[in-house]
Amino acid sequence: MTTAQPATAGQRSAEDYKRRLAELPWPELASTLGLVGLAIIFGIANPGYLSEGNVSAILQAAAILIILTIGQTFVVATGGIDLSVASTMTLGAVVLGQFYAQGWNIWLAAVAGLVATLLVGAVNGLIISKGGITDFIVTLGTLSAASGMALIISDGRKTTIIEPVLIKLSVNGIGLFSWAVIIALGLAILAHVVLFHTAFGVHVLAIGGSAESSRSLGIKVWLVKTGVYVISAGLTGVAALLLVARVGAAEPAANTAFLLNSVAAVVLGGVSLFGGRATVIAPVMGALLLTALVNGLTRVGLSEFYQPLTVGVVVVLAAFLTRFNK
Amino acid sequence: MSTDPATTATTTTQDTAPAATGGDVLTVTALRKSFGRVHALRDATLTLPRGQVTALIGDNGAGKSTLVRCLVGVHTADAGEVLLEGEGVRFANPEQGRSAGIETVFQELALVEDLSVAQNLFLGREAKRSFGPFRFLDRRRMRREALDMISQLAINVPAVTARVRRLSGGQRQAVALARAAGWSSKVVILDEPTAALGVQETERVEKLVLSLKERGMTILLISHNFEQVLRLSDQVVVMRAGRTVARRQTSQTDGQELVGLVTGAVRDPHEAAHDLMPDSDKEAS
Amino acid sequence: MYLNPRLTIGAIAALSLVTLAGCGNDPQSSSGGSGGSGSSSYAAVIKGLDNPFFQQMQQGIDAQSKTDSVSVEVQAAQSVTDTSGQADKLDAMAQQGYDCYVVNPISGTNLIQGLARIAAQKTPVVNIDSPIEADAAAKADLKVTTYIGTDNSEAGKMAGDTMVDALGGSGKVALIGGISGDVTSAARIDGFTAAVKGKLTTLPVVAADWDRQVALTKATDILSANKDVAGFFAANDDMALGIARAVANAGKTGDIAIISVDGIEDALKAVKSGDLYATVAQYPYAIGQMGVQACEMASAGNQLPANITAPVAVVTKADADQALAKFPAPFQPFDNPLG
Repeated sequence: MTTAQPATAGQRSAEDYKRRLAELPWPELASTLGLVGLAIIFGIANPGYLSEGNVSAILQAAAILIILTIGQTFVVATGGIDLSVASTMTLGAVVLGQFYAQGWNIWLAAVAGLVATLLVGAVNGLIISKGGITDFIVTLGTLSAASGMALIISDGRKTTIIEPVLIKLSVNGIGLFSWAVIIALGLAILAHVVLFHTAFGVHVLAIGGSAESSRSLGIKVWLVKTGVYVISAGLTGVAALLLVARVGAAEPAANTAFLLNSVAAVVLGGVSLFGGRATVIAPVMGALLLTALVNGLTRVGLSEFYQPLTVGVVVVLAAFLTRFNK
Repeated sequence: MSTDPATTATTTTQDTAPAATGGDVLTVTALRKSFGRVHALRDATLTLPRGQVTALIGDNGAGKSTLVRCLVGVHTADAGEVLLEGEGVRFANPEQGRSAGIETVFQELALVEDLSVAQNLFLGREAKRSFGPFRFLDRRRMRREALDMISQLAINVPAVTARVRRLSGGQRQAVALARAAGWSSKVVILDEPTAALGVQETERVEKLVLSLKERGMTILLISHNFEQVLRLSDQVVVMRAGRTVARRQTSQTDGQELVGLVTGAVRDPHEAAHDLMPDSDKEAS
Repeated sequence: MYLNPRLTIGAIAALSLVTLAGCGNDPQSSSGGSGGSGSSSYAAVIKGLDNPFFQQMQQGIDAQSKTDSVSVEVQAAQSVTDTSGQADKLDAMAQQGYDCYVVNPISGTNLIQGLARIAAQKTPVVNIDSPIEADAAAKADLKVTTYIGTDNSEAGKMAGDTMVDALGGSGKVALIGGISGDVTSAARIDGFTAAVKGKLTTLPVVAADWDRQVALTKATDILSANKDVAGFFAANDDMALGIARAVANAGKTGDIAIISVDGIEDALKAVKSGDLYATVAQYPYAIGQMGVQACEMASAGNQLPANITAPVAVVTKADADQALAKFPAPFQPFDNPLG
């Protein structure tokens, strides 16, 4: 990039190589490299791990987490956090289930569920941006409120939803990718375009970098902040449909693991928890990494007692990698 | 004072054709602003002649920052009048101020570390192109125009795609200046542009300010550095305790007098009558 | 020269996907599970091991596989609410080409997708303990080879009969259920209510979420509101142990009969000490054993009955020692159609 100095060729290329290596965005690369490493290790330890069927199973199992991770990425990019993703998804699933039980068409019921989640997102966003209350507290509150509403609306009961079209969603598809996976990856591409090719996306990163600067440059900080919480919640509404398809029922269960994993995937994806720096691809790779890890541990027969521990170690190691890069 | 700020702000934006050279670009008369019982601004009166550098000096708490914030729309003044190109303006927010043609480089620069130079230059008014009902960033155009903005000022910045995090203090100041100057603005306000810089970088930024002036920009410079004020400005306005208390042509004053005016050791002959006659200091020059 | 970070990530991502896909080969031929050395190998996916009931189920599976020298890979969900995680585990194992799958689904539907694909390859699916919803299975073209489980309503009925004996034919009984709306809880309580109808009076069902602490609180409330309660029926042992604490706090141990269903070790000990009057023991250990036996028979091509009932036995103070000695296996011989 700068003009080369007249030095010996060997020296120059070695230095050039070193400099370029240092310039690589390591935090963003961590999840992808981790995934590749994992594929190699498990591929050797367990011959069937890289089989078409298992890769397809990993992608299938990752679809819901990928969608939640995308939303979490937008929120974290502004320097916030959305602790309510999992319970908002539960609420969306339960609302879907209630309308379905009333005889609504499954897609209309899914739209009703989506509307419910969008409302939660708007409440989150407005209380945080206009009310000036810390995101952590607000979304912790909605975490509880949304699961409470899910219990009230469903009366604590699950609604069985076995629709051939929903089964097809996760069984049919193109090659390795079921329709559920294609939806998740499509949303990831859309999110990438929004983050890097629209003014909104730049403003999301700008607010995460410096809300004060953004405000003085005339960016409507409250609107963008509300926007990311609505996006995050809306994505939980889509995830709710996939969840219902996956477990064949709308249940008021807590699904806490999804919350923890969405934050972990974002951290693995090198997104700064202080905001301002984010990609979509790397957190999606983080979500795949977490899913592929649990799949591999299951296949090699590691007891489920050790699995959360292993996942925790991987996440903390990734956080270290991000830190050392600075 | 006008009660419908939005409309006044928008009418002035249409006035993009440069007025005839000469005359005052901005005239501020008897501006007041209080925060609760604190009277930050008691009476601020000044004019910015076209194409000149006006320095605003005063002790900490003299009201310089409040005046600037009122001018650009961060605060709204309680009373007083602001004329931009002869028309009364009143901004409800910085966006209106910017679109009317008042650009500010704040002390904290308002740069976002993890965005690129080009993204920072266009932050808040990105170039877009339509694609059906959707509007996407025109990243190529922004990069090209960013390069223009930078090269016009002969700024030494690594690349317009480089993150601001990688720039030195002087380079950042240069980017912020380029952003302020690059939007066909009528007035550029510089708030302590060199306060955090070393000797060499200060020199470079001062050159930039002078090159902005050569390009006919009207500049309001806030500075604590009297030598810098004497080097760069055409006229100096002194503030004390929320009031503009004196105005001097730079060529007819020196550091000693300025220090005296700032501290109150030297009193402008018209200062006593200032409250009653808002235009009194004009006659002093 | 300048490396675009996003391009770099994109390139590596694309490369890794291609690599992953490129390695694909036939899952059936690539692996036969961990112990594919000629003999059969089975997979079992059960509920969370945070509950002793499922730990015993796993012990039963392990014991039977050792006896019959077959290999069984057991995986459990993270917790008893981890529906989608359990589905992920099944999918991971489904790709390893086991000869038979034993499943205890958390909900009636959460494993249907994965099982439908397994069953489509004519691999036997043995459903143990919690039943797969029949309607849902039919819609997904899933045919379960056999279902092995206890009759919860029968267990409730046996508890009811024992309660009638314990109270001498009359008295007021409080009912503590699991999570409101739970099918198992409802079946046990309905069985109990039917057995005591016309003999004992019952209070409305109070849900204590299968939880010992919650049951302690609820039972304390009930005791203070109803001085004349003579017995408690709890839908599981854990809750009964909470109730026993509440009764002890009220100084009424021995005066109030507490009966529950499950037969976990702590409950057997409590029966022995007199804190509980009786527990209707179900044998998750036996269910696990029978699951493995069913797999062996199905793999050998035998036809199995659609429903197989696992043993249930009432344990009172008289049998407690014997039951503890044999634990977790049943203390009485039972009629096993698979053995």
